[in-house]
Amino acid sequence: MLEVNQVNFAYRRGEPVLHDITCSIADGESVALLGHNGSGKTTLTRLFMALDHPRSGEVLVDGNNIEKCEPADLADKIGYVFQNPDLQIMEDTVFEEVAYGLKNKEISEENIKHQVEVALKAMGLEEFADLYPRSLSFGQKRRLGVAAALALNPRTLILDEITNGQDEQEREMMMSYLKKLNEEKHITLILITHAMEIARKYTKRSLVLYDGDMVYDGSTDELFDGVRDLKPWGLSQPPLATLGAVFGIKAFDTEAFCNKLELKGVGVK
Amino acid sequence: MSEAVVKFTDFYFKYLSSELVLKNINLTVPKGSFTVMAGPSGAGKTTLCKAMLGIVPFYYGGSYSGSIEVLGENVKDKRVSDLAMRVGLMLDDYESQLVSLTAGEEVAFSLLNHGFKPQEVEARTKKALADVGLPGRENYQLDELSGGQRQRLLLASVLAVHPEVLVLDEPVSAMDPDGAKSLYALLYKIYREYNMTVIVVEHDINNLLPYVTHMVIVNQGVIAAQGPVMEAAEVTYAYPLLRENLPRLWQIKFNLEQRFGLQLGNWRSESEAQQELQERFQGGIGKC
Amino acid sequence: MRITAFTQLILVLAVTAWVFLLPIPAVAMLLALELVLLLYIKHDRMTMAAIGALTVFTGMMIVLQLLFGSSLYISLTGGLRMFVMTTAFLDLLAGTKIQDIAQALVEKFHMPCEYAFMLTTALRFVPDFLADSSNTLDAQSCRGYSNRGNVLKRLYAYLAVVKPLVMRAIAKSDTLALSMELKGFGANTYKNMQPQTLKILDYVVLLLIVVLSSYPFWHKFILR
Repeated sequence: MLEVNQVNFAYRRGEPVLHDITCSIADGESVALLGHNGSGKTTLTRLFMALDHPRSGEVLVDGNNIEKCEPADLADKIGYVFQNPDLQIMEDTVFEEVAYGLKNKEISEENIKHQVEVALKAMGLEEFADLYPRSLSFGQKRRLGVAAALALNPRTLILDEITNGQDEQEREMMMSYLKKLNEEKHITLILITHAMEIARKYTKRSLVLYDGDMVYDGSTDELFDGVRDLKPWGLSQPPLATLGAVFGIKAFDTEAFCNKLELKGVGVK
Repeated sequence: MSEAVVKFTDFYFKYLSSELVLKNINLTVPKGSFTVMAGPSGAGKTTLCKAMLGIVPFYYGGSYSGSIEVLGENVKDKRVSDLAMRVGLMLDDYESQLVSLTAGEEVAFSLLNHGFKPQEVEARTKKALADVGLPGRENYQLDELSGGQRQRLLLASVLAVHPEVLVLDEPVSAMDPDGAKSLYALLYKIYREYNMTVIVVEHDINNLLPYVTHMVIVNQGVIAAQGPVMEAAEVTYAYPLLRENLPRLWQIKFNLEQRFGLQLGNWRSESEAQQELQERFQGGIGKC
Repeated sequence: MRITAFTQLILVLAVTAWVFLLPIPAVAMLLALELVLLLYIKHDRMTMAAIGALTVFTGMMIVLQLLFGSSLYISLTGGLRMFVMTTAFLDLLAGTKIQDIAQALVEKFHMPCEYAFMLTTALRFVPDFLADSSNTLDAQSCRGYSNRGNVLKRLYAYLAVVKPLVMRAIAKSDTLALSMELKGFGANTYKNMQPQTLKILDYVVLLLIVVLSSYPFWHKFILR
């Protein structure tokens, strides 16, 4: 359970980046965090992870104020996956890489092995366990980043632009693994993303930030209803939403859209 | 658009310690085209871009066979920096392509190295910076520029040498949708104003819909489709595994065309698609 | 009116000689002049921090010399000399653009252009490198890296930050090298820049340098 109450934040240079933000995210939710570059969405998640601390207001993780914490303290509650997997890869094998976080704790070798294997399996990386991490493709490295965070068994995953720079197949693969984690293991997903289609398809709740203010906190379906004008917030309705709204169809991929169009008895004039 | 600015003939390539990265490439990019190069990750798109300047195979090394012709000349015996005067390249790690400390120096760098006179350099720098929307910023330090501005600075430094071709490898991966739209709008404006040929590697072709004239789909080191954009798109659609690389609107178009046996327009925007769908299909709820 | 990078370089070299050639009171005055100049050119936090760090370092050196048995006078004068030499460098960096220094090194000292350009590259990539290390630190912290424990433990743990950074630096330098090749970097790079011509002030300063540097020869005449 993550909460922020009346949180304000500014970097040392001065300009306030978040204004009086209040929201809470319950366990097991799947949330999209949307907004233009500089809207404060990444900053908000950094507060959850104690990477930064607010100027005023409080940040609570499972009911506890984290103002005295540092990120390492929260690693077993929240897994924060950064955009660039190359910035953190340091070990010689995928296995060692995922095991890194566990080595700092006092856990037996066996337990480490078990948790690493669970994490690798959850992200479809078992066959790569002995490979050199930098030999993986970009999409695989991204999944490795998630597995490394998962190894510590957090209840929540914060993912920064996890589908950015990937082709369609890789995106779908990544999201299907994440979806499984959310549905089967009830891991809370917080997706910082610019990909409206991904947000629409995979999250139930959306938070939209604009210039440091939270301008929307509600259902993803209602946000991406295909009709609402999202341009003032720097967002846009995905094509499937817009066209779907024209015919009263809700679909998340091309085949489904065209199928439903046909099934609806929509015919050529 | 019959002349080819880039022509690969039976081109094969592998790096020193790798498998074949490019196989049997026969590719023609027509002069004056705005070509998008798409395809799954790791397909070889970046390698192809580098080959257009002879970086691969001549700067990096590796084994190859076949030939590469750029602007009518074989790249084999050319210096990479000479080719770069005619073909501007922007890689996706654009930050590391910036070598100088101030904006003016960055734009002037190539020109000075090639012996342009100081007055000429100053004039071209001024024009290039103005063209990309950074007028008067010659004395700005690099860290006074935002990420988007730095990218435009790199574009300015590439434009200052007046190249005939621009090659950009995933230029907007770090941007939000508005930033991406404005960069591509800028690119298109420059493309028209200077009669250039543009080649863009992109995963998300949606952003390029209004501009693209030709398309190349690369898959596992091979060219799966090439040519005028709609033709290439149709060919691509025939492969279920490659379909997803096409813009959403065109996936819908081809799907509906096959399903209902009709011919729809070549949609370049959502509103075009919406309008035609509402006209051609009944059961529409109507636009809000 | 400014003196060229070339003159400044000569000045720094001269100062290095002067700390040994001139009498101690003169060296102390030199230090005072340097500090005044430095603070006049640039009195931001970083400059103050640099001076502070230097003072601490000099102090440590003096203590070390004392511990090894040197007399107080020798330790103090040794520290003074070092302080003057390093402050001269600070003055150089504060008062000149690094690109101009690089150009002077190539034009007048005939340094190969690749080495001279390293100065510009270093400065160019320091902010990027700091940003990368900050990002890497964040990423590893989120995986459990913590800056706690005894010194040895902390050093070993810090490898988690160092290793990815080094790989990143290598990848970046690869792209940078390619970029420089594409832009035609080479012998022409510095040749075609606006040459730095020496002006009146430069000649005056150079003359002063010659006079002061030949102090050993004419000081006898003052003492009369």
